[in-house]
Order: sequence, then C-alpha cells, then structure tokens
Amino acid sequence: MQRAYRFAIAYFALFGLLLLASAAALFASKIGFSVQGIELYYLGSDTIPGKSPYGLLESAVPHLGAMGLFIMVGAHFMLFAPTRAKRRTLYLALALFAAALLDIAAGYFIASGAASWVWVKLAAYITLSLLGTLLMLQLLYYAFWHSLSPRQHPR
Amino acid sequence: MRFTLVKDLRSDALMRPLLNGLLLFTGSFLVADAFLKRDHIGLDRERLSNTLYGNEAEFIDPVSEHFVLELLHSDIFFMMMTLLTLSAIYARLCPLKRIAAVVINLAMVAALADVVLFVLAYYRGDAYLLPWLGAFWTWHGAALFMAFASLLYLNVLKKP
Repeated sequence: MQRAYRFAIAYFALFGLLLLASAAALFASKIGFSVQGIELYYLGSDTIPGKSPYGLLESAVPHLGAMGLFIMVGAHFMLFAPTRAKRRTLYLALALFAAALLDIAAGYFIASGAASWVWVKLAAYITLSLLGTLLMLQLLYYAFWHSLSPRQHPR
Repeated sequence: MRFTLVKDLRSDALMRPLLNGLLLFTGSFLVADAFLKRDHIGLDRERLSNTLYGNEAEFIDPVSEHFVLELLHSDIFFMMMTLLTLSAIYARLCPLKRIAAVVINLAMVAALADVVLFVLAYYRGDAYLLPWLGAFWTWHGAALFMAFASLLYLNVLKKP
C-alpha cells in the first residue's frame, strides 16, 4: 500500500476521533448523560419546549446520511487488513449501523411518549461512541503499527 | 475508491469524467466554505472576536457553546471526507510522491490544528484567533492546490 494512503487512513482515524469527541461534547452540553436530561430534551417541561417533529427531522436527516457514510468509509479501509481483522470489522460495522439507527430512531419514540426508549437512546449512543472509537483506534493501529497486506495497482 | 485500483486514470472513459466532476465540486466547496465562514463567523480578527466573545460597545452577543460545538461537529465531518477523498486522488495522480506526501500532511495537520485552535480560541481567549486563521487558510489553500493539481494531472500534464 502506498505510504500516502496509509497517512490518509491515519488522518481519517484522527478526524474520526475528533468527530466522536465533538459529538460527545454536544450530547453532554445539549442533552446530558442522564435519563432525566434525555426526557427533558425530548419531552420538555412547563418552561422548556420539547423537540418538535421538525426539530427531530432536522437532526435525523444529516445524521442518517453522515453516519452511514462514516461507518462505511471507516470500515472499508479494513479491506487491506488480514482476514481475521476483516471478519471482526464486519461485526463491528454491523453493530455500529444498528446502534446508529437505534440512536436516531429512539428520539422519535421518546418524543411520541415511549418512556422506556430513553434507556435505548442512552445505550445506543454509548455503544455508538465506544464502537466508533474502537474502529478508529483499529484503523490507526493497522495504518501505522501493523503492516496492511499490500494491494498493488494492476500494472 | 475504485480509482485507487484503475491502472491509468487518464485514459479510463468512466473514471476520468467522474474524477473531474468530483474535483470541480470539491474545489467549489472549498471556495464556498471560505465565503460562508466569512459571512457566518468572520475571517478577520475583529469580526471573529465579535462573533466568539461579543462586543458590548456594539451590542453584539457572543455565540453560544452549542453554536460552536455544532459548527465544529459538522466542519470536522466535511473536512475529513473532503480531505480523505482529495488526498487519495492527489496521491494516485501526482508522480512526485515526496511532494504529494508534504502537501497531504500539510493539509491534514492544518485541518486538525483548525479544529483544536478554534476550540482554544473560544474557551481560552483571543490569542488563538490569528493561529486559527492561519490554520484555516493553510488547509483550504493546500486542499485547493491538491484539487487544482489533480485536475492538471488528469487532463493536461502528460504521464512522465
């Protein structure tokens, strides 16, 4: 694999970690990592308005596009890795897709009054963050410390 | 990333127009992003300072923490996708591998610095405003250079 590609993959992983960190900061700042915080954010209170259907859609649309792309691009770099790592990445990517979908969908269920989905939202977000971090760290490891199997351009 | 596997991109009937389109859009995105940032938060020290910290004399409120975090969050996503795609195309097309590595590293490090310096500027003060402006223009300049050079290698310059 060309050296420049390995750098590009490593930088992608660093940006990915920054993206996940900024998402965590936003979650902590806007919602808070607690059941009460999530309920307040989506359902509102006497003084604070809850999330409107438009507000939910406004947040869901870019995330549906971006999360799918982010997971696919991050995981597809593992095509260059050994077979065992590839299989592990497949399970990791499937778990990430599921967690991302649940994370987005949970907001709608909470706003429509399904209180138990607050726990799903919290669990899905934490799973998404931890597995996303794991994928990015795995990319960094394979880009720098473990030789990725060279896949030459056909000459 | 099929273009990383095609033998000669310059003579590939499908990949060449596709890459031309992608490079034109990416270049336009970079220019438009600079204009948007200029109008949105300001790209000179005074306007940026007014946006981030407010200005009592001119009755300007500072932006909220949510605004800064949301701006960074979306910027990081676009940065990573744009720079990843651009650097992969440029690395594939540029025959001068050492120069390609320098330009790619410069763009990536400046973009990473852009994110870190913007956070520092908001939370730690105006000493980081000029370094942020430097990082912003450096990664935009390097990315535009990669897009322009890739277009040249794809369409004008002969294969060495």
